Amino acid sequence: MNKGILSRSPRNLLFIFQVLGLTLLLIYKGKDIDKLTLGTAVGLVLVIYLSNYILTKITSGDNYIFLITTMLVSIGIIMIYRINEGLGIKQLIWISMGIFLFFLTYFIIRKIRIWENLTYIYLIGAYILFIITFVFGDRKHGAINWVNIGQFSFQPSEIIKILLIFILSSYYSNKDRWKEIKYSSYYLMGIIYSFIMLLFLQKDLGTALVFYTIFVAIQFIYEDDRKLVLINIGLSIFFGILGYTLFDHVKIRFQSWLNPWKYIERQGYQITQSLFAIAEGGFFGKGLGLGHPDFIPVVYTDFIFSAICEEMGIFTGIGIIMLFMILVYRGFKIAIAQRNKFYRLLALGISILFGVQSFIILGGVIKMIPLTGLTLPFISYGGSSILTSFIALGILQICSEEIKTKEELDEAGD
Amino acid sequence: MYNILALLFKYIFIIIIYLFIFSIIRLIYLDIKGMNVVSFDNKAYIKLINRKDYLPYKIEEYYIIDKVLTLGRHGENHIVVKDPYISKEHFQIVEDEDEYYLEDLGSANGTYLNGDKIYDIVKLQDGDIIKAGQIEFLFVNRK
Repeated sequence: MNKGILSRSPRNLLFIFQVLGLTLLLIYKGKDIDKLTLGTAVGLVLVIYLSNYILTKITSGDNYIFLITTMLVSIGIIMIYRINEGLGIKQLIWISMGIFLFFLTYFIIRKIRIWENLTYIYLIGAYILFIITFVFGDRKHGAINWVNIGQFSFQPSEIIKILLIFILSSYYSNKDRWKEIKYSSYYLMGIIYSFIMLLFLQKDLGTALVFYTIFVAIQFIYEDDRKLVLINIGLSIFFGILGYTLFDHVKIRFQSWLNPWKYIERQGYQITQSLFAIAEGGFFGKGLGLGHPDFIPVVYTDFIFSAICEEMGIFTGIGIIMLFMILVYRGFKIAIAQRNKFYRLLALGISILFGVQSFIILGGVIKMIPLTGLTLPFISYGGSSILTSFIALGILQICSEEIKTKEELDEAGD
Repeated sequence: MYNILALLFKYIFIIIIYLFIFSIIRLIYLDIKGMNVVSFDNKAYIKLINRKDYLPYKIEEYYIIDKVLTLGRHGENHIVVKDPYISKEHFQIVEDEDEYYLEDLGSANGTYLNGDKIYDIVKLQDGDIIKAGQIEFLFVNRK
């Protein structure tokens, strides 16, 4: 029927895209492909198709956001697998775990309804994660943000991102209760600034910027004390100038943004290679496997967008940006439609997180804003990035449903 | 051999990505088209409960009841629903001295109020659910 075709067609397109991508990669790698990898890949295609189908059945909320993200994930995995087979296989596993975590988060948050009262636990959790980073952290690409546990390494700052959204949401949704403490908004601001300072000390500028933007945006929307918003913006300018003059790594980033050609041998190398790659691709790209994305340093995480533009064309690049725009738009729509204040704030925070993070890294690789190392959500290679993005998506999925308050639930139970 | 395939596939990929974006935007467009801002102060209205993006025909999210509001498949109704389960003139809501009444206009498949089929004129209360075919409306009267 008409209705069926309408709601099913993006899902089928996604399926066709994945099958074609898989076929092309199979031909590209020839006989080198082992059966296990192939099995995982085919399995994932089916899992994604089924997940999209099941989701329309179990959720009364939005069912575009998962579709959009699975499309992004598919574009990413095709590119990563083409650049580096080993990472591609790992990424397959991360994505499968990510989808599992998406559903797990969805059901946990749906069942348990105490999240808005746990502000202190989120705070303590965030600080513990920061301490872990400093004590056990490893330096990678200039930033201390990796913690190794056995064979696995993860980025605590990715999890803190979600905790930050929970802290802000639980604070502003319980504004009346917090008003009893004098200057509570100032304390909150102090806490968030301490997070940002800690990230700054880890030299993780991109994440610091994401934290700051989420904070300012939510404060701008929900803070009654408008003076604070002005103070916040003023402080950011002050700290920006201070950071520029005090820290060399900030200065280097800025200079290599203003004129990367002057420093093409060293600081400007990444960004110039990225620009070359995008220019090389043209409108339709060189074709998968026919470009040289390996010329760009850290191509499979931060610079994945340039590689995609080189081999799949700037049209695909624009497509990715559009997909992110739709995703953020859906997020805001979910936030507007949500009646429960806590979940509305969560939806808002997560939409801002996706939007800002993709803007900062996309803007960085096309030299629109100074480059800061961040992953492109859902596309870049990386376990912590993929997993936390899917957790955040699971929370957004819950926010898109009508949340009954505890009293309403009790009434329904009687 | 591979090169030719790769060249071919890059165009196909781009076409699929754009078709995908287009189909999502289309669904979203159907969803937001009726989000026109109307002020509902002191007016009774009915609100669509179904997810609008799942109904394969044009329908608004809100209908304000001004004296009388009719629903049916025929083009002269206030709410025109091109659904085979809806009769040409299905039901109407009439205002009379600040009270609102629901009346079935002899439809083939009936009109349901809060799950019960109605046979006569029924007085509407705030929060009542009106169902005809697969469409459900919430009656809102905050006076």
